[in-house]
Amino acid sequence: MDDTSLAILLLNLCLLCYAFGAAAGLLFSSHEKSANLFSFGCATLGSACGIIACVTVLATGTAKNQSFQLFTSLVPYLEFTVRLDPLGAFFGLIVSFLGLAISIYSFGYARGFYGRKNVGILGTFFNLLLLATTLVFFAGNAFFFLIAWEIMALTAYCLVSFEHEKAETRDAGVLFFVMSHIGTGCLIFGFLLLFQTSGGYGFDGFHALGNAMSPVKRDATFLLFLAGFGVKAGIVPLHIWLPAAHPVAPSNVSSLMSGVIIKTGIYGMTRVVFDFLGAPPNWWGVTLLAIGTISAVLGVLYALMEHDLKRLLAYHSIENIGIILMGLGASLMFLHSGHLLLASLALIAGLYHTINHAIFKALLFLGAGAILHSARTRNMEEMGGLAKRMRWTALFFLAGAVAISALPPLNGFVSEWLTYQSLLQGFGTTTSLVRLMFPISGAMLALTGALAAACFVKAFGITFLAQPRSAHAEHAHEASFTMLLGQGILTAACVFLGLFPTVFLKLFDPLTQQLTGQQISGQLSAANGLVLSNATTLGGSISMPGLTLLGLSLLAVPFVLWLLFATRAKIRRGPTWDCGLRGLTPQMEYTATGFSKPIRMIFKALFRPRREVQREYDFSSYFTTTMRFESHVEEIFQTRIYRPLNRLALRVSRRLRALQAGSIQAYLIYIFITLLLLLIFAL
Amino acid sequence: MNPASPEIGAQLITLMAALMLVMQLLLAVQPMLFTSVRLYAIQSFLLAGIAGVVAFFDNASHVYILATLTFIGKVIFLPWLLNRQLRRIQITQEVEPLLNAPATMMVCGGLTLLGYLVARPFTSLERLGNNTLAIAITLVLTGFFLMINRRKAISQVLALLTVENGVMLAAVALTTYGMPLVVEFGIFFDVLVAVMILGILAYRIRETFSSMDTSKLNQLKG
Amino acid sequence: MNIEPSNILLQTILLLLVAPLVSGCIRNWKAKLQNRRGARIWQPYSDLIKFFRKDMVIPEHASWVFSFAPYVVFLTALVAGLLVPLVTTRAPLSLFGDVLALVGLLALGRFFLALGGLDPGSSFGGMGSSREMTIAAVAEPAMMLAIFTVAITAGSTDLSHIIQAAQNPAWKALNPTHVMAFAALFIVLLAETGRIPVDNPATHLELTMIHEAMLLEYSGRYLALMEWGASIKQLVLMTLLVNIFFPVGIAAASTFAMLGIGVLIYAVKLLLLAAAVVVVETVNAKLRLFRVPDLLSAAFVLGTLALLSTFLFQ
Repeated sequence: MDDTSLAILLLNLCLLCYAFGAAAGLLFSSHEKSANLFSFGCATLGSACGIIACVTVLATGTAKNQSFQLFTSLVPYLEFTVRLDPLGAFFGLIVSFLGLAISIYSFGYARGFYGRKNVGILGTFFNLLLLATTLVFFAGNAFFFLIAWEIMALTAYCLVSFEHEKAETRDAGVLFFVMSHIGTGCLIFGFLLLFQTSGGYGFDGFHALGNAMSPVKRDATFLLFLAGFGVKAGIVPLHIWLPAAHPVAPSNVSSLMSGVIIKTGIYGMTRVVFDFLGAPPNWWGVTLLAIGTISAVLGVLYALMEHDLKRLLAYHSIENIGIILMGLGASLMFLHSGHLLLASLALIAGLYHTINHAIFKALLFLGAGAILHSARTRNMEEMGGLAKRMRWTALFFLAGAVAISALPPLNGFVSEWLTYQSLLQGFGTTTSLVRLMFPISGAMLALTGALAAACFVKAFGITFLAQPRSAHAEHAHEASFTMLLGQGILTAACVFLGLFPTVFLKLFDPLTQQLTGQQISGQLSAANGLVLSNATTLGGSISMPGLTLLGLSLLAVPFVLWLLFATRAKIRRGPTWDCGLRGLTPQMEYTATGFSKPIRMIFKALFRPRREVQREYDFSSYFTTTMRFESHVEEIFQTRIYRPLNRLALRVSRRLRALQAGSIQAYLIYIFITLLLLLIFAL
Repeated sequence: MNPASPEIGAQLITLMAALMLVMQLLLAVQPMLFTSVRLYAIQSFLLAGIAGVVAFFDNASHVYILATLTFIGKVIFLPWLLNRQLRRIQITQEVEPLLNAPATMMVCGGLTLLGYLVARPFTSLERLGNNTLAIAITLVLTGFFLMINRRKAISQVLALLTVENGVMLAAVALTTYGMPLVVEFGIFFDVLVAVMILGILAYRIRETFSSMDTSKLNQLKG
Repeated sequence: MNIEPSNILLQTILLLLVAPLVSGCIRNWKAKLQNRRGARIWQPYSDLIKFFRKDMVIPEHASWVFSFAPYVVFLTALVAGLLVPLVTTRAPLSLFGDVLALVGLLALGRFFLALGGLDPGSSFGGMGSSREMTIAAVAEPAMMLAIFTVAITAGSTDLSHIIQAAQNPAWKALNPTHVMAFAALFIVLLAETGRIPVDNPATHLELTMIHEAMLLEYSGRYLALMEWGASIKQLVLMTLLVNIFFPVGIAAASTFAMLGIGVLIYAVKLLLLAAAVVVVETVNAKLRLFRVPDLLSAAFVLGTLALLSTFLFQ
């Protein structure tokens, strides 16, 4: 059996497992334990098969557009073509890998729903979501793609609304639903434009189609897809559903959504822009780079203002989507100017960040889930002291925090390093003033990174360190073994992708070959793969294993000093000194709100913070008896864009209500007129 | 003269022009009026320096006169005058400009970019022209912006002076290309007189409204 | 490139030994300028040894992060130091990391420093961490822009290449690009090493301290590691400044004579920069926290101007 047929077989197996898992969930919906075991067991198996299938495709570099019918269709035009190609396989790898870790985690996590919610339904939708997402990445024609896309959106909606008894959840679900369908609408129009030129629905026929389109139409297609996929990816200003929807879903689902589902937007953009639309004009790249930069900075700034742990993480997804888009945008600009090597470098930077973000964001959401599970709150102000109570979770969360803050030696740093390198080298590619965008975006990336670090010092510090701020946090307990295992797998992946990027970069070769016609993993690696270089002669290289080893061997310095001076020094645990104040209570600790206050004040033009303080006192305002403090941050997009739009829509609908005459004849006339118009249009 | 020196001259001029720009930016965010005056003096000193360098390397002895005049007038006399004014009206700080410091900085950065863009077509002006001209234009633009941004009459005068510095810089930079000395003198004395009048005016404003806030001038209309 | 263990060892020792001396010099000279006698310049060494000998008290609320942080802070600063060419044009480990890695390593150290400040649960530590991370966040873009500018003119992010390019006669030290990038980095240096006008290293007054607030609960050898790490970080940043912008006298070959001259000139440059820091610290007052962004935005604009000049001043 050759590699291709192996891959096809495994992919089929994977899809089959998901289907079984979904069925098992329904079947056992009255019996929680077996529902949990079977549905998540199937998901685990399926995703394991998926990983092997995708790695086979990527590693052998074969399967150029190998396609097969999933099952024969009875409807004309509708073909269930599954197509294996490197780009799809790369994203398939992401969903399968996360699927594996999250499924394992879910065994333990779903136990928390026993007796409260129907675990079978959770399992069913979870499997369906995995199935649909996998199919989105492997769909071989526009119809099938849209069907998979819709199933994905609908299952995601169901999962977001899983805890529908809370009003917050319902609102978030509806918002997600509406935004998602606006996006799908744009996609349908986009595909129609493509269809008009190609005359078919197959993705094979779409390849480099843009070169045959008129520029105006091509630009329109680009904008439609940008908006359509942008909604899913959560780019600013289409992001508002994301911080609402991701946090309210069960944590394993939030993890999958933030890790993978928003990446379908990135997949779509890459597929359409790099594969379908041909040689890009410069402004596409500039637009993507600008949107990316703005999303990154705004995402992290809003994240800093959050003290709901899961909302904070959701905002960070916006930030990271921005970073990914910076890579993709730079890559498009290089494609335009004909610098294929740099285009590949930037593309790799973007896609490498895609998988990295998927992994560490999933990890962090799983950690947040474990905390929610045991401390019963998402509010960071009620946590604290969890590092002693949940040792492993703390360790994993810390690894995720270091990775997402783009700190060496973990994976976030590597992909941001690649992004920096491509931005820096981009400066020399043109002489127009546009090149100023590269270093400015680079500086904004630095700002983003530093703010992200601040945000995760806050997230980790307030959540895990110091004293517990509530009774729930006081009595928190460590998560179950499977939950820890799921997080452990992702942590290991963070470490691996950080320490050995050159090994992993080999998998990008077929992908860049497909999209830019270059294979550059060889140029990116030096010194037997221990060093990651930036593919230029002058250099600039990093070696994470080298730095890590060096750091560890330098531990000898403190050790020797300890031997010399401190062997007799004793260690004693005592009360926190706190400048001599006594009786430190949890109430005296720095809060999450307090921690981010300097940043709130610096960027007050953006946040427009409001605060209300009410105090009661007996005889002097210095001796307050009770005090109420409230502080709000304005979400500028909601108040300045969406609310006016909403009002406008309502006003227009009120006008349009006149059309609803209620008489059947009137409706028939509408239909008739539409028909006539369409016929005239077809002339 | 050894062959490397014109090169050094060009470098020196660019450097000093760039420093003038830096002074301008510092001035843009400096709320303390005494420090602003000092910054202006340094900027003018740099201008005089540039004039001196131009004179030396291009053997244009008439520019020496300009350098000397700049030094006496703008590094010594005007700052002294302004300082005296400040002491008389006893106002030391600019309060609440329209934009805060980082925003001002960003605007100035944008204006700098614009200045460079405008000066780009003049690349043919060889070593003195292009970049120095860009800075000159920038000085004029940011000076204008500063006049809009500030409320106190004295800082508006300072802003006007920096505009004038910009004009002067352009004149010096292009001096070997035929800007007549008379014109430079004209500008110089114009501004000198303007400042003295403005200084008196500022004092009067202060006397009348017991404030130097020019936005109060709208109370004058009937 | 071969990795020569002897070079690594030498540079490590140099970093470890010189760092406290620079701190000592700055402290001593500052005292002199303020008409005090001041502690001897060797004082930091005695401090460190004393800290190492002392018993340690670990706050009861602290977790393992508290004990982990000093090692991270110390080691990241030290590893970052090995990426910078000190006296020769080749850093011993330039292949292991470029200037971006250096920034990343220092950021890692800062990350754990801030966590270490939060861990004991005192509000002073939290305040310090919050401020430190805020200031770092506003300083970072300025720093990156200045670094980008240098990297773009040198055509590489590799520090050894940058310094070799800086020694090339085509590199103009008087170029406004470099002057402005230097000014931007100098401001960033003041912010990153916690100097007046950003932070006051001498104060323990709760409302003004930033770096010290995070170290409040540390004692014994952890404190020693923290302090030492901070001074190594300061040395690394100062070295970056002097060696990139004043690339005079950096030994190109590792012959004995050249190395000797290299060390001498390096010391002179370093002391001059330290003197500059002392002067700035003495003539300025500490800025209010919310005024610090003004200063750093000035650095950012300087960085932007430097960048603009790279192609507009050609």
